[in-house]
Amino acid sequence: MSKLVDLITNTWTLAVLCVVLALAAGFVETGTVQMWSFVAINILLAQSINLLTGITGQISLGHAGFFAIGAYASALLMKGAGLPLPVSVVVAAAISAGAGYLLSIPAGRVREFYLAMMSLAFGLIVYELAREWRGLTGGVMGVRGVPSAQIGTLSLFGWVLDSAWYFRILLLSLIGTMIAFRNFVKSHYGRAFYAVHVSEIAAGTLGVSQAATKRAAYALSGGIAGLAGGFYAHLVGYLTPESFGLMRSVEILVMSIVGGLGSLTGQVLGAIVFTYLPQRLQAFSDYQFMAYGLILIFVFTLLPNGLAGLLKTRTRYSKFDQLGGIGNASPAVALTQRHSDKAASHGPLIRVEQVTMEFSGLRALSGVSLDLQPSCITALVGPNGSGKSTLVNVISGLYKPTSGRILFKGKDIGGQPSHRIAAAGITRTFQDPRNVPSFTVRENILMGANRLYVHGPLAAALNTPHAKAEEREMLGRVEALMATAGLTHHAEDIIGDLPYGIQRLAEVARALASDPELLLLDEPAAGLSEHEAERLVQLIRMAADHGVAVLVIDHHMDFLARLVNDVVVFEAGEVIYRGDMDGMRSNQAVIEAYLGKEEVSHA
Amino acid sequence: MDFLIQMIASGLSVGAVYALVGLGLNLTFWTTRVLNFGQGSVLMAGAMITAVLVARGCNVFLAVALSLVVSALILWVIEFVGVRPMLRIRGSMGWVVSTLGAGIFLQGSASWLFGTQAVAFPDVLFKSSDTIELLGAYISVQYIAVFVISVVIVGLMELFLRRSTWGYGVRAVAHDRELAALMGIPVRRVVVGSFLVSGLLAGAAGVLVAQVSGTVDPNFGLHLLILSFVATVVGGMGSAVGSLVGGLTLGVIEKLVGGYVSPAAAEMVAFVLLVAVLTIRPQGLFGKADTVKV
Repeated sequence: MSKLVDLITNTWTLAVLCVVLALAAGFVETGTVQMWSFVAINILLAQSINLLTGITGQISLGHAGFFAIGAYASALLMKGAGLPLPVSVVVAAAISAGAGYLLSIPAGRVREFYLAMMSLAFGLIVYELAREWRGLTGGVMGVRGVPSAQIGTLSLFGWVLDSAWYFRILLLSLIGTMIAFRNFVKSHYGRAFYAVHVSEIAAGTLGVSQAATKRAAYALSGGIAGLAGGFYAHLVGYLTPESFGLMRSVEILVMSIVGGLGSLTGQVLGAIVFTYLPQRLQAFSDYQFMAYGLILIFVFTLLPNGLAGLLKTRTRYSKFDQLGGIGNASPAVALTQRHSDKAASHGPLIRVEQVTMEFSGLRALSGVSLDLQPSCITALVGPNGSGKSTLVNVISGLYKPTSGRILFKGKDIGGQPSHRIAAAGITRTFQDPRNVPSFTVRENILMGANRLYVHGPLAAALNTPHAKAEEREMLGRVEALMATAGLTHHAEDIIGDLPYGIQRLAEVARALASDPELLLLDEPAAGLSEHEAERLVQLIRMAADHGVAVLVIDHHMDFLARLVNDVVVFEAGEVIYRGDMDGMRSNQAVIEAYLGKEEVSHA
Repeated sequence: MDFLIQMIASGLSVGAVYALVGLGLNLTFWTTRVLNFGQGSVLMAGAMITAVLVARGCNVFLAVALSLVVSALILWVIEFVGVRPMLRIRGSMGWVVSTLGAGIFLQGSASWLFGTQAVAFPDVLFKSSDTIELLGAYISVQYIAVFVISVVIVGLMELFLRRSTWGYGVRAVAHDRELAALMGIPVRRVVVGSFLVSGLLAGAAGVLVAQVSGTVDPNFGLHLLILSFVATVVGGMGSAVGSLVGGLTLGVIEKLVGGYVSPAAAEMVAFVLLVAVLTIRPQGLFGKADTVKV
């Protein structure tokens, strides 16, 4: 089975198939070519919703709205303004992308089901406007006489396009879009989109802005659906609102989910199945609504990963395969060597000044002040509920402190959003590992490097030499980190299937992949085996040796004793001790915090 | 002036129905954090069954009662096949898709059974030609009846939720499902109960809206679902009073814009309002802000 899938998804097989289809288009019946064109359009639609729903996790129930905007825009631009096919289709895609961007404005602030309902409303509004705005769309009568390949009225710079040539142009556009889309998805952008899907909070701490990412996903998804719409308009030559109702949105969603959300191959399969099924099976077409309804109800229970999951094909979210491994281009450096003595002359790396954090009256931190130096490993200990994690959450930007300042390299970062703080060089891990369960260990750790990438989306989509070199460099870092963490033999394993300890180690490695200046670890050793804890110590030491300031929360004193230079003890939101381990053990306040006060009895 | 009063009256009337539907949406949202995307089709089912039964000679009140029972049962089935299995899936993807699917299935079934054409809805309360004079304007008695019935149901529900044992259960489960289970509250029964009642409210709302609109067709509920959702969001998810204020506000604005600007603009009102509220104040007028636990 997997060999068959490998054969089907092999680049050469696909290239040969495309050439055969393009040639054959001239010899088969027009109806067949039409069907092929519909398949191509549906593949675009499925990929478009896959980007938004499958990869970024934003459910779209009104995708026909984007499709309609693209179709009407291209039809009217060509019919009214006389624009040639390539221009009208591209402009239509841009207009549709604009609609997607506008739709995403509230996206940064609300949870996903609000957006799902909004997308449902969006689809309905576009449909209603197509019906009511007669001056523009022709109302329920629709737009007639759109230049179309089917009836031979479509021409490109004087050359009349027949159905076969139209299909060839469409196929070429599809291939181009698919290649660019694949490269994009495998870049740090694709990983950022997926990170937002899995955990918005964790995405923020990787330096990914969830609002900006969602906006980009909506715009891009709208653009691809608009492109499909443009091609649809010139395929059929006649647009009515009824082609863009709720049923169409549901159809697009069904294609994508049955194909397999998140998988690029799955979308192609889903589009093929649901283009041919209603054509070939009369019964299916009679009960289409009911069938789609049942599919949506049961698909996640019966076929959670769609056809792609059934065929065990998985889209990889890194360019490791495309680059043919990392080669031996550059010697692998896990971390940048920062000189600790130079930084020391400028004062501490981070200075927490009188920070207070209150949650509706409950004071979790009261007037905490703390300095951390480069290359220094500091333990943060204290009883449960003493405010350790709260401090980490405040520093990493998940909470906005009630008062006080946090100076990172002399700049106040208190209250900034977490993605800005991560981008500035502060990375953290969580008490419970927040990896992407469906990613491999390599892809997860590579996600950590997100903030270091400089190449833009276009370079990522086109796989420019610069983009490739950068990806290769980051993969090299990841390789070095995996070697130190002892994860090399797990590199290609899906992280969700691995034991807990390995997942934790991978999370710490991911944090280091961001090449941070300050590393905040929240109970990294909890649940680790002896051997894994040793690997963790090595990772943390390596960080400190490279000039990273490390703050470790943990309860495991033996683990801390062989690791840290310095201990801070918290009690009820205040610092009660700072110094070395030995001093802490004999400190009266610390003993009281842990064991309680000794009763003074007057006998 | 007459026109203004008529518009306000019809706005209040549909707005009260939005509140009723919104309360049904809220009920299941409280107990399971699930919003039923198929609720629109349940409204349609309630109205459609009443219309079809009456057309075949069934007594009007019996028909309404039967359609309410069927609506409640539909939600019970939705909970069983579409909601419970999906709570295991992280995030809202699973239940959004499955409840939407349930709605689509109902819509498809209705088209298959009764055809896609609109069916005339019988006069259950008064005649559509009955009017009374208010401040010089003639207002349909049906509008007033729909408004009064909706507000009374919302009020009774609010009272029921605050005073009855089951109401305490709903609020306890809404507050913390696990804690409620530990305290001996039969969470399953409370959840199923909330779906049954939500179905009743949806069926009643369907009958009331169909009474005003005069016809019902398989696509009937989608608009109402979206408008009720907007009303709920404007008022604040999880607040019954909010639903009522949001519903009435939306209903009146919608009718005024429809009357004075254009019907197409009225379509846009709800959407613009939804985007604006979600952008400016996502928790709505009466809701509490979502706290995110790290």
